[in-house]
Amino acid sequence: MKKENKITTLKMMNGNEAVARGAFEAGVKVASGFPGTPSTEVMDYTQQRYPDIYCEWSTNEKVGLEVAIGASFAGYRSLAVMKTVGLHVAADALGGAAGSQINGGLVLVVGDDVGRIAGDDYNDVRHYGNMFNIPVLEPSDSQEAKDLMVRAFEISEEYSTPVILKITSVICKTTSSVAIDENYTYEVKCRKKYPVSFSKVIMTTMMMNAKGSEHPKLIKCFQDFPAQMKRLAADSNNFGINKLELKGKKIGVITAGTPYFYTKEVLPDASILKLGMVMPLPEKLIRELAEHVEQLYVIEDGHDIMEKNIKDLGISVIGKELFPKFPEMTRFTPDIIEEKLVPNAPKRTPMEGIPFRLPVSCAGCSHLFISQILRNHKIKAASDVTCGLIGCFPHMEAYQLQKCMGSSIALAHGFNVATDHKEKFVGMIGDGGFWATGINGLMNLIFNDSQSTTIIVDNSCLAMTGGQHVASSEFGFNYKPENKLEIAKVCEAIGVKDIVTVDAYEFENLEKAILNAVKANTNSVVIVEKPCVTKFKLPKGDAYSIDQDLCTQCRKCIKIGCLAIESKKGKDGKVEIVINEDLCVGCGLCSTACKFDAIKS
Amino acid sequence: MQDTGKNIIIAGVGGQGILLFSNLLSKYYMKLGYELKISDVIGLGQRGGGVESHFRYSNKPVLSPFIKAGDVDYLLSFEQTETLRYLHCLKDDGIVFSSTFELSTSSVNTRLEKDMPESKTELIKKSGKKTFIVDPDENKSSDFDISKMMNIVMLAFYAEFRGYSHEEMIQIVKESVPGKFVEGNIKAYEKGISIARAKLA
Ligand SMILES: Cc1ncc(C[n+]2csc(CCOP(=O)(O)OP(=O)(O)O)c2C)c(N)n1
Ligand code: SF4
Ligand code: SF4
Ligand code: SF4
Repeated sequence: MKKENKITTLKMMNGNEAVARGAFEAGVKVASGFPGTPSTEVMDYTQQRYPDIYCEWSTNEKVGLEVAIGASFAGYRSLAVMKTVGLHVAADALGGAAGSQINGGLVLVVGDDVGRIAGDDYNDVRHYGNMFNIPVLEPSDSQEAKDLMVRAFEISEEYSTPVILKITSVICKTTSSVAIDENYTYEVKCRKKYPVSFSKVIMTTMMMNAKGSEHPKLIKCFQDFPAQMKRLAADSNNFGINKLELKGKKIGVITAGTPYFYTKEVLPDASILKLGMVMPLPEKLIRELAEHVEQLYVIEDGHDIMEKNIKDLGISVIGKELFPKFPEMTRFTPDIIEEKLVPNAPKRTPMEGIPFRLPVSCAGCSHLFISQILRNHKIKAASDVTCGLIGCFPHMEAYQLQKCMGSSIALAHGFNVATDHKEKFVGMIGDGGFWATGINGLMNLIFNDSQSTTIIVDNSCLAMTGGQHVASSEFGFNYKPENKLEIAKVCEAIGVKDIVTVDAYEFENLEKAILNAVKANTNSVVIVEKPCVTKFKLPKGDAYSIDQDLCTQCRKCIKIGCLAIESKKGKDGKVEIVINEDLCVGCGLCSTACKFDAIKS
Repeated sequence: MQDTGKNIIIAGVGGQGILLFSNLLSKYYMKLGYELKISDVIGLGQRGGGVESHFRYSNKPVLSPFIKAGDVDYLLSFEQTETLRYLHCLKDDGIVFSSTFELSTSSVNTRLEKDMPESKTELIKKSGKKTFIVDPDENKSSDFDISKMMNIVMLAFYAEFRGYSHEEMIQIVKESVPGKFVEGNIKAYEKGISIARAKLA
């Protein structure tokens, strides 16, 4: 770190950008993980801005975290980035790392989708802090996102533990100023303290005082992690990142993350304990605040985790009895705090009857062709977590089942074995979902003698999260043509009996391929090829249009789910079904849906 | 009196350049030395979903990234269904700048929901707030595509309304958009000034 000619400037950064900057300043060597809203851009910024850091999008979050754990054991600071649902996938790896000896700092940057911006189930990453006994840090703005990232690595090394940096959709998508040193030079940090590091399984043997457990070779890898966490909890009373702001005596609030700023804005006179580290808790500071004020509240996004942990200390605090949690509330806003704690606050309610925007697919998306065929032929199917899941929504009704990422192949197989393969239930999965974990489902159904059909949508990227590369893409951070994996070849090697590859836009061929696969008395895979229209900016064909004289307004074309097809009310109040020619890419799918020949190119 | 800061909501649908709009505006306020927080709420995917940006500048540190309902000074909206969604957030003396452009919602297209019976433009006008309506159809130009550049038109409108330096704003636009788009953007900006002058006269 060359400190001599420090030039501090203020830069506007969103939370993701600031975390990436923090990784750079912490001297991180390896960044791995898997995309997921809202934290995907942490990796994008790291890779674009800081070429000294090795970056990879791994096949899934578990693999990503394992890569980071390996790098950390080698002595280098490493980070794994994912969204909270991704940590469910990586949880086993985290359980292995938690409580074990750490060489290079190991930080998990995990995005909680508060407010359900990307529509995921409402999760709270802090549960993993409690479950695995590891620290969780949470920033309130971009400056803190950068600073806490650096701090997280220090804590990881000092207390020999993985650390979770919890960021939320609000942090990730809020831009504010960050002070950075323009002349900061990257310096990779390396620390090789422990020659061995094993998971808690082995150490528990020691803690139970099992016979032979005192062997010096075992003792070498023992770390008393509960003691480390106790030490961290005690030290955290003096951490600068936990700030006690004693003011008025009426209201005291324990808070963290962006709710800290909501609280400060709505309750300027309240005394506040602002936690930069939400786990473990600084007990002394909490007691000090409790003694100072008449009434103590906890204001936290997500689940009632700080609240429960504070109550476990024997301190009474008001939380969810005043601020109900999900599903009554998806995230804190200043309005909610005002409504509950400021007497006579005016209440503002939105206008009624404003129509809702359901998600729609991009014009020309290959997923629409598949949905259309499944629906036309009443083929029952499971969708994976992909752009294609829009087909599950009530305006499309193409799929009957949808669960987690990578699941659709096994879901379909389960349905088929239960129903003796009488009605072929199909699994549709994206290329990303296939490589992530879906490939396991495919191997599983082969050796369990299933006759299921799988549709793999090869659009050369993880489209739903913005087009990151996958193992079969022809681009990527570490891409080399000779390393590109072929979906068809892998399916063949796994033992799939019947494999066809079709271009999505060849509607009749695609229809035939899917129908044949479903009819076959064997397992089968249909690979549907078409690069993602949006990611790869495919050249547009001539726009289609609707002949209003022929259109009966049956709305069959709207049901295909293309963004370009709209029902429009003219100035005279008359409704017309029209194609937006700016958006139409000329794929022709809608014309196959119109029985009245009203749609023409 | 010196401007101590304002709360602005910028609204519209994906693809209307809302993030570019707030980026350009933030550069202007940064040059003036204000503190800023800009929080983007983007709906499901980039496909015709609603986009909402909370834009706050102040001469003191900005606290909450979200503006409380009732604290909004200006609502700038590029799509009129979205304008309606945020009307209640305005202060009593808050001001609306709205395009009459409308992207029909998927739920109405597929008849899951009924559209509002009244004209949305009328509903905005009847809101009791000071309102400036810009109709892209009435302001078509052969020099640029107003359906794609409403953001720049509105930026100019807002700058004229606030009495800001167009010269500096255009400079920011020049520095921020890719070279081949500069000319079209400046045309759109100039159009925005003339619309604003007509409406404000
Ligand atoms: C376990 C998990 N990790 C990450 C995500 C975020 N995510 C949602 S969709 C998606 C990409 C899907 O890509 P692909 O399977 O190729 O389908 P496409 O969208 O390209 O059709 C990702 C990474 C998630 N929902 N769950
Ligand atoms: S981003 Fe790509 S895969 Fe997703 S809906 Fe659009 S075209 Fe389809
Ligand atoms: S499918 Fe044909 S007839 Fe029916 S609404 Fe569409 S264009 Fe009109
Ligand atoms: S041809 Fe039809 S389905 Fe294809 S993009 Fe145009 S409107 Fe959409």
